Amino acid sequence: MTQAIAKGRTGAPPVLLGAAGLVAFVGLFEVLPRVGILPEAYFPTASTIGRTMATLVTESSFWVSFGETVQTWALGLAIAVAAGIVLGVVIGTVPVLRAATASTIEFLRPIPSVALIPLVIVLVGTDMESTLILVVYASFWQMLIQVLYGVADVDPVARETALSYRLGPWDRIRYLVFPTALPYALTGVRLAASVALILAVTGELVIGSPGLGHDIETANSSNSIPRVYALIVVTGLIGLAANLVARAVERYALAWHPSVRADVPA
Amino acid sequence: MSQTVAVLKRVGLILGLPAVLVATWWFTSADSQEFYQPPLSKIVEVFPKTWTSQRIVDDVVPSLGRFVVGFLLAVATGIAVGVAIGSNRALRAFFEPVLEFLRAIPPPVLVPILILVAGIGNDQKVLVIVSGAIWPVLLNTIEGVRSVDPVLVDTCRSYRVRGALRLRMFVLRAASPQIMTGVRQAQQIALILMVISELVAAENGLGYSIVQFQRGFQIPEMWSGVIVLGVIGVLLALLLRLVERRVLVWYHGVRAAERSQR
Amino acid sequence: MLEIQSLRKVYDGHGRQVEALRDVTFSVGDGEFVCVVGPSGCGKTTLLRTIGGLLAPTSGTVTVAGQTVSGPPDQLAVVFQEYGRSLFPWLKVYENVELPLKAKGMPKARRAELVNQALASVGLLGAGTAWPWQLSGGMQQRVAIARALAYEPRVLLMDEPFAAVDAQTRADLEDLVRSVWRETGVTLLFVTHDIDESVYLGQRVVVLSSSPTTVVEDIRIDLPDERDQLNTRGLPLFVELRSHIYSLIQKAKRTADTR
Repeated sequence: MTQAIAKGRTGAPPVLLGAAGLVAFVGLFEVLPRVGILPEAYFPTASTIGRTMATLVTESSFWVSFGETVQTWALGLAIAVAAGIVLGVVIGTVPVLRAATASTIEFLRPIPSVALIPLVIVLVGTDMESTLILVVYASFWQMLIQVLYGVADVDPVARETALSYRLGPWDRIRYLVFPTALPYALTGVRLAASVALILAVTGELVIGSPGLGHDIETANSSNSIPRVYALIVVTGLIGLAANLVARAVERYALAWHPSVRADVPA
Repeated sequence: MSQTVAVLKRVGLILGLPAVLVATWWFTSADSQEFYQPPLSKIVEVFPKTWTSQRIVDDVVPSLGRFVVGFLLAVATGIAVGVAIGSNRALRAFFEPVLEFLRAIPPPVLVPILILVAGIGNDQKVLVIVSGAIWPVLLNTIEGVRSVDPVLVDTCRSYRVRGALRLRMFVLRAASPQIMTGVRQAQQIALILMVISELVAAENGLGYSIVQFQRGFQIPEMWSGVIVLGVIGVLLALLLRLVERRVLVWYHGVRAAERSQR
Repeated sequence: MLEIQSLRKVYDGHGRQVEALRDVTFSVGDGEFVCVVGPSGCGKTTLLRTIGGLLAPTSGTVTVAGQTVSGPPDQLAVVFQEYGRSLFPWLKVYENVELPLKAKGMPKARRAELVNQALASVGLLGAGTAWPWQLSGGMQQRVAIARALAYEPRVLLMDEPFAAVDAQTRADLEDLVRSVWRETGVTLLFVTHDIDESVYLGQRVVVLSSSPTTVVEDIRIDLPDERDQLNTRGLPLFVELRSHIYSLIQKAKRTADTR
């Protein structure tokens, strides 16, 4: 049996290299503006951004915005995940529904959520609800598609075994559909969470509903560039944290799961 | 006779629900007095008047042009850099935390900065598209290049397949399913960013037109613009799927063969 | 043609050191067909990969046609066990066989000649336009063999190539390998865990001990050159040789257990 050659014995361990990468990145951001290669007016140094962030976290208004963004995001995600699971399981397990809704799903799904922005502004307004609608719309499709894949992946032999043992629909869902679809569902949550955050912040930026996105726009129009960067870094960190948490949950939940599946293309 | 029935059934399934939804929209909005929710019949009515060939040339074409340039640039750069990073274990480890952070930044928040840096012209819009669309391509390429089959790596080494040939015939081909996943996500993001860059600051474009309609209270026209945008999104996704089907003929074959052995 | 001298290979694995090969020495003459057998886990694959230049030995040398091996040598081809995974699924059969020749920089016409010749000698001349995953396991392994043949190597290494194939296909493939060997006169080193196969195929059989591996015995197979599945395997000499090797391996396994 051909085994993978034991590579990478030599050289620094990945954690150190990664840390070095981070340091280099921050370092570049410190040096280049100072030296003038990047115009300092548009590219504040890393230390300036750091100081601005330190000031930021002491302002209560920042935390209010932070809360608003996280609230929009979490609520939208929860709705999208719940709807995605319910509809995904129902549509996925009833072949007729699957066939009848296929064309509709394929048509609605690629519609960019930003296309809804003008509609949502005139119909609902410029508050959190508008952004929430955007968030739910975009993340719902991510979740639905993954759940549909998951339900479709049930082993036909296992299904027939369950039927021959006369397992009712609830039992089938519990013992067949749920374990098979779980990895897909978790992938769906991770993808949906990422999309949800993007839409939440975008909605706040473009529509003006309260939150970090709106603060970025405010900071921008009052030309507080370091503040803009600081807020950008904060949103990046939120996204990063969410991603890491989602992956940890996936790993934990699937550690005991017999099958480990690769991402189904979203 | 049953052949016709089968065809009718297929057509029915494909068109059935959409037709029902459109009809519902038509009839529930028919008597609408709401200013912001015009009857569907009105929206349909303004379509040909609004989307004249002039407007298509003035707005739709520039938008799509920026989309295409930005998208292709993001794909080409993402693949090139992704292959370079993905082929080397040290580089992967070095770049991973930075890339994970950068990709977590919602692309639209960079728009204000990019406007400062690059103005409000086409360059800036293309830059906005690239700044967001490059990440799925880059990260998926890295993943695809990283996880090539070690048996194939040994085969290449054994037969001394190296350099450009190895890149062309092995690395890129092996990673192509994963890369295509990234390209698909990139297309969605590119379209979104195309619109957003025009909502914020623009002189022409599809998103720009929609905003102009909204500000000028031309609501049926605004709705028609939204529909056009939706249709473009669907067509692009379809186009990409056709491309994927051709490029990944072999991959679908392998998967089908595996499934039939299950 | 092939000289393996005091080959030693030690793996560094998570603080533990594993001595896969302790001292392997044997040689293969030009045009010889030599089989290598040993108990499971005795490092047969490690040995083959080291000879093929895919692994660097800890000490000792491998020489191919007088040149020390320090990387995959020119004029040496390997047929791996995982035939399914060693063929590129995005290339058709013809293109798979052709690829190493392209790497050599051969002109198109000459490539076509060699590819078709190789496919013909494994009985797959018509299969050039098929995808690998459309073929059965046995046919895929034939393609891998054809690819090695088209390369016109002086030395051919085969790493348990028929281990994952069913018995009837294996018999066909064994005969195929012998006939190809006799046609081309290539130097062939064939690693297997199947004792009967090693006696049936080889002119010599090198028996390995269990890990840490050394050469237990180097046995000459004095069976006639013309061999076939039915008759050769019934010959008294065949039975004698295989029993001898079998007992060597059993002894090797027992010594391993008591270590």
